[in-house]
Amino acid sequence: MSIRVVHYINQFFAQIGGEEKADYAPEYREGPVGPGLALTAAFKGEAEIVGTVICGDSYFNENLETAKKTVLDMIAAAKPDVVICGPAFNAGRYGVACGTVAAAVKDELGLPVVTGMYEENPGADMFKNKVYIIATKNSAAGMRQAAPKLAALALKLAKGEKIGASAEEGYLPNGLRVNFFEAERGSTRAVKMLLAKLAGKPYTTEFPMPSFDRVAPGPAIADLAHTTIALVTSGGIVPKGNPDHIESSSASKFGRYDISSFEDLTSADHETAHGGYDPVYANEDPDRVLPLDVLRKMEKEGKIGGIYPYFFTTVGNGTAVASAKKYGAAIGKELRDAGIKAAILTST
Amino acid sequence: MRLELGEIHISDIKLGDCSKVENGVLYVNVEELKALLLEDEDLASVEFEVVHPGESVRIIPVKDVIEPRVKVEGPGGVFPGMISKVTTVGSGKTHVLKGCAVVTTGKVVGFQEGIIDMSGPGAEYTPFSKLNNLVMTCEPKEGIKQHQHEHAIRMAGLKAAAYLGALGKDVQPDETKVYETSGVMSGKEKYPDLPRVGYVLMLQSQGLLHDTYVYGVDMKKSMPTILNPTEVMDGAILSGNCVSACDKNTTYHHLNNPVIHDLLEQHGKTLNFVGVIITNENVYLADKERSSDWSTKLASFLELDGALVSQEGFGNPDTDLIMNCKKLEAAGIKTVIITDEYAGRDGASQSLADADPSADAVVTGGNANMVIHLPKMDKVIGHPEAANIIAGGFDGALESDGSITAELQVITGATNEMGFNKLSAR
Amino acid sequence: MLLVTNNGKVREKYGPLCTVQFVDGGHTDVLTQVRDLVHQGHKLLTHPLAGSVKPNETPFRSVAMTEETGPLDLESLELVERALDVCRQFPPRFHRGEDAPAEMREDFAEIDFRLIDGALAPRFGS
Repeated sequence: MSIRVVHYINQFFAQIGGEEKADYAPEYREGPVGPGLALTAAFKGEAEIVGTVICGDSYFNENLETAKKTVLDMIAAAKPDVVICGPAFNAGRYGVACGTVAAAVKDELGLPVVTGMYEENPGADMFKNKVYIIATKNSAAGMRQAAPKLAALALKLAKGEKIGASAEEGYLPNGLRVNFFEAERGSTRAVKMLLAKLAGKPYTTEFPMPSFDRVAPGPAIADLAHTTIALVTSGGIVPKGNPDHIESSSASKFGRYDISSFEDLTSADHETAHGGYDPVYANEDPDRVLPLDVLRKMEKEGKIGGIYPYFFTTVGNGTAVASAKKYGAAIGKELRDAGIKAAILTST
Repeated sequence: MRLELGEIHISDIKLGDCSKVENGVLYVNVEELKALLLEDEDLASVEFEVVHPGESVRIIPVKDVIEPRVKVEGPGGVFPGMISKVTTVGSGKTHVLKGCAVVTTGKVVGFQEGIIDMSGPGAEYTPFSKLNNLVMTCEPKEGIKQHQHEHAIRMAGLKAAAYLGALGKDVQPDETKVYETSGVMSGKEKYPDLPRVGYVLMLQSQGLLHDTYVYGVDMKKSMPTILNPTEVMDGAILSGNCVSACDKNTTYHHLNNPVIHDLLEQHGKTLNFVGVIITNENVYLADKERSSDWSTKLASFLELDGALVSQEGFGNPDTDLIMNCKKLEAAGIKTVIITDEYAGRDGASQSLADADPSADAVVTGGNANMVIHLPKMDKVIGHPEAANIIAGGFDGALESDGSITAELQVITGATNEMGFNKLSAR
Repeated sequence: MLLVTNNGKVREKYGPLCTVQFVDGGHTDVLTQVRDLVHQGHKLLTHPLAGSVKPNETPFRSVAMTEETGPLDLESLELVERALDVCRQFPPRFHRGEDAPAEMREDFAEIDFRLIDGALAPRFGS
């Protein structure tokens, strides 16, 4: 019996229309549609596309929850062995839709899934560590090269075979290092890489260095006496009892708490939720981590203009960088919207 | 410098009562060789076994692998400073017994690693499973210290390789390869338009079990210096390293340094291979700073356009690697580095203990933490109890049927950082 | 010079030659102590990771630092934090020396001693 595949595509590739049809609601059609024909050819009889789910890109992104549910229900009803989404090439909203559907198929339906897109598609960064994304060219002109790779990886996934390294299978590197045998020994590859580098020609490093997220410091504040300061910490200081249950490690949230009525933090009203350091000193006097007492003093002396009425807090202990970035962006947005020009960030 | 390497293809090794090379077979007079090796008063016994590719044999723990060679013409002798006098080597003619090696095994310390499987999945990861190996199990006399023990086994391996190599002195080689290098000035005149490329060869040099010797000099006590590429082919660099099985450079690796061979292959065609800068990997941070300053200074002195850097070991040497790369790039020398990775069993962890954005051209020998299952072998040579040690901890598990589940790092040469293998990772 | 170690062998030789801070604990405890000293302004003189002996293998560790203090040395801090990261990545097989089997304990102690001795002996002319 051949492998059952369900294919997800957008309105454009279903030949329904372009931007003017992007609000097209999810629809299920039997058999392959559009690029599904190229995939069918690449399966060489080992698998068949039993159905195609079509959804407009605007519709999907603007009705995310309902669209996702409808699409998933349609996919599940067709009882596939494996699901293919796209490829989306460099189409941003289509990429995000393919990634969202693929991640949901994997997490909620528990089915193997593969999608494809250009490495700079915003969907690639969002989903490459969650699902296999075949690297494609930046336009549909790359369909001919993408189809065999998508088909091959989908077949492997459906059969439960071992998946090779990204360079072998053609998927975007997903942060997991996988060993494999190259065609040439390392020294020969190194000499070739050096010749390319010397000639200013493109080459691909086999191990990209971890990205260094360096932020240039903002300009110094000239007039501190009229500046309101906010307090932000990854040291886990929370109101006593940790009302929002911020986790002691790998925090899934940050907290925002009113300090406008406090002159000084004490063990009677605050504590730390952090599980990565000895909490005795922070619990004894939470100002040691979130220095409210000295700031109040400076406020009274007129050295600073004031203190933002809320402080923000999370636990930095093993918290994923992606989560921390998200919290930072949300905190930054509130402070910027409130016109705050300065914040003190304390860590532990 | 011009070196002719005459390769004598060895298809088998036979133990007997006469030592010779005849029709591609290496015959070894066991008693004679044993007597020679036991002149070392620290050794109590030496046992020999011959293993062939494809046999169900495991060798554990491997100390060193050495290719037999002999100097036929030109100054000096093989393994200068250790076996021969310190005369500069690398020119004239040298004969090599190709397709065979001396493998020494000996348990210098309790936690030593290093497995060569001659068949099965483990064999795919070590280049030494493809050779006919004369395995020497060396036992020390009671009460000698670890450093004397290491010295005794190291010397026994070199003596045996020199003894066997000498048997090929008057044998007609099956194949002759000529390696010719230019001087700094003549190279520039000969290849005015080719990019000038150098090789920065990092040598492990941190103390007992971590040492490398150059013309007999302990490399941790030397400043970085320049070698002619052909010098290594006569054994100018010798391994005294017993840790880090997967990414240590055995003497065999030094003799057959793949970077040197590949650069010589391109010399005069796509690049001008100017020379080898050898540097160390010391414990003292000021040494690391000084040595990386010096390797870059020598590279600038040679007016290199590009450099290839190879590493040995993991952890502390990552700092030397990144220092070398950073300083070479800052000096305007385009650099490619070869390393390996410790990315965890799931491949999700940080691969190197140090990193820098200037290291934008990296070749990897693979993730040493990858888990591999090594089935039971019919025969285990060396110190089988070492398998228990490897198996006892984080690195692996010895099953009741004699098979081992372990990380790739226990296999000799598996993730070599000279780029000796095809293994890589993404 | 300030020598932080949990290896009796190292203390025995270097106790009379320089200031030795003996740590009654494992590999990670030594590095934690070193990190604290870095924060107090001491600089690293030797690399906090031992040769190519994996940190999860050896329970012994010896690190040399400056005796005098100055402003926080960021390079030292970076090195010791990275070393602690590696320790977290490869959890120790033997937390303390006494957890290792007797015959291995002596070997581990000897290797740690040799690694630091190779770096320090020339500086003490011994």
